[in-house]
Amino acid sequence: MERLCASADVPEGEVFQVDLGDGRVLAVYRVDGQVYATDDLCTHGDASLAEGEIENGEIVCPYHMGKFDIRTGEATGAPCSIALRTYSVVERDEAIHLI
Amino acid sequence: MSETAHRWIEQYPELGSGPISTEPYISPEWYEREKEKIFRQVWLCVGRENEIPRAGDYKVKRLAAADTSAILIRGKDGKVRAFHNACAHRGNTVVNETGEETFGRNKAGIVTCRFHGWVYDAEGALKQVPSEQRFYNCFSKAENGLAPIHLDTWEGFLFVNLAETPDASLAEFLGDYATHFAGYPFDTLDYGFTYHTYLDCNWKVAHDAFAEAYHVDTIHAGSFPNVFSTGLQNVKLMGPHRTCAVCLTLNAKPTPVAAIANAMAGASLVSTRAESMLPPTINPDKRADFAFELSVLFPNTLIHVAEGIWFTHQFWPIAHNKTLWEGRYYVKAPQTNGQRWATEHAMTLQRNAWLEDTATMEDTQRAMQSRAKTLQHLQDDEILIRHGAVIVDRFVNA
Repeated sequence: MERLCASADVPEGEVFQVDLGDGRVLAVYRVDGQVYATDDLCTHGDASLAEGEIENGEIVCPYHMGKFDIRTGEATGAPCSIALRTYSVVERDEAIHLI
Repeated sequence: MSETAHRWIEQYPELGSGPISTEPYISPEWYEREKEKIFRQVWLCVGRENEIPRAGDYKVKRLAAADTSAILIRGKDGKVRAFHNACAHRGNTVVNETGEETFGRNKAGIVTCRFHGWVYDAEGALKQVPSEQRFYNCFSKAENGLAPIHLDTWEGFLFVNLAETPDASLAEFLGDYATHFAGYPFDTLDYGFTYHTYLDCNWKVAHDAFAEAYHVDTIHAGSFPNVFSTGLQNVKLMGPHRTCAVCLTLNAKPTPVAAIANAMAGASLVSTRAESMLPPTINPDKRADFAFELSVLFPNTLIHVAEGIWFTHQFWPIAHNKTLWEGRYYVKAPQTNGQRWATEHAMTLQRNAWLEDTATMEDTQRAMQSRAKTLQHLQDDEILIRHGAVIVDRFVNA
């Protein structure tokens, strides 16, 4: 397990950027109490999804308003068409960890 | 200072005392020269910093008199910058405007053109172009950021200047006006209301209607009965700007409901208050009948300050005979339900007074356009109007 961030870094309905320092940059989300993680970089442009807004379980990219399903990474709104990579995460001892 | 019937013209004889032509109020050609010589040259007050408090907050303000719209955006560095709302690609507006003022936020601190998806950051740089590889070698993102507009701030107010190189810095332009009002708690009195509407009149007709208190006894006999007696005091002309104190008879008997509201909140212009939050330059003689300071920040912004209240009028020209009027009124946020009610009462009274004020303007314009009368006759207490006419003439003929 690899610690990503503190639980408090990701309030309900928010997204938080975690830079692991080895080239991997993740976006960590909390939706309906559950935590999720995907790649932070939008598959369409150069945008950080952690700077986007969460709407109905989807992350809306701040550059072109494309959308991804936070749970599955599926591209659900144009111009995005390539799925995001998702990561399994678990919340334990007030921190969020990569499994 | 003498209290003669002609005290202001004795103080400022250079303004002259003759009648004022109505031509600058009705001539489309004159208006074109005002656009070029005034609205594209001087600093214009376009809002408050606290309207866009967070990084990525933006406001787009239409400026018809300068044939553009300005994006005012706060960057991740906390700084507000201004740009023309025009895309470098094919000239579309970058932010879709929904009216005279369009507010938005993007946490990434960027704006995206909704035509082809060009992305600009809050420093104006072109960050991303979809299918960039299809453009030719002569195209460079580095040279195609948003066109910047000069922006500066004073006391939390945002100003832009559309000139390529402004003749003066904002501080130089404001001059003594800045020191006169420095220190007034504009920021902490932030609870208010805004009205705006289009008026079929020249912007100076609107300015003039608010730049004197001579009308109060007649027009506002309903909302503020028997309050205007002592008239203007402390007229001060400061370059293109002007200010004065409006003094009211504060012991006139208020209506029973107004008396209760005044006791609870003091949010009305005709209530008396003990403490002072005014800078020492305002009401320097501590006159008991001081009601509010009425000032004109050239060209189109009126700022009024009083104990516990400040309000502004702005007159944005749309055409020679069409003006966008924006009125804003601010008090301290109420702490109790009683204060809340009293504040709402004061605001409603003020709204009524503004409706009474704006009611004359379109009539004035129509009558002026008849050319039945080509001159206006100003009395001594209408000196702010006279100064305004002299300054506009000086800029237009510069």
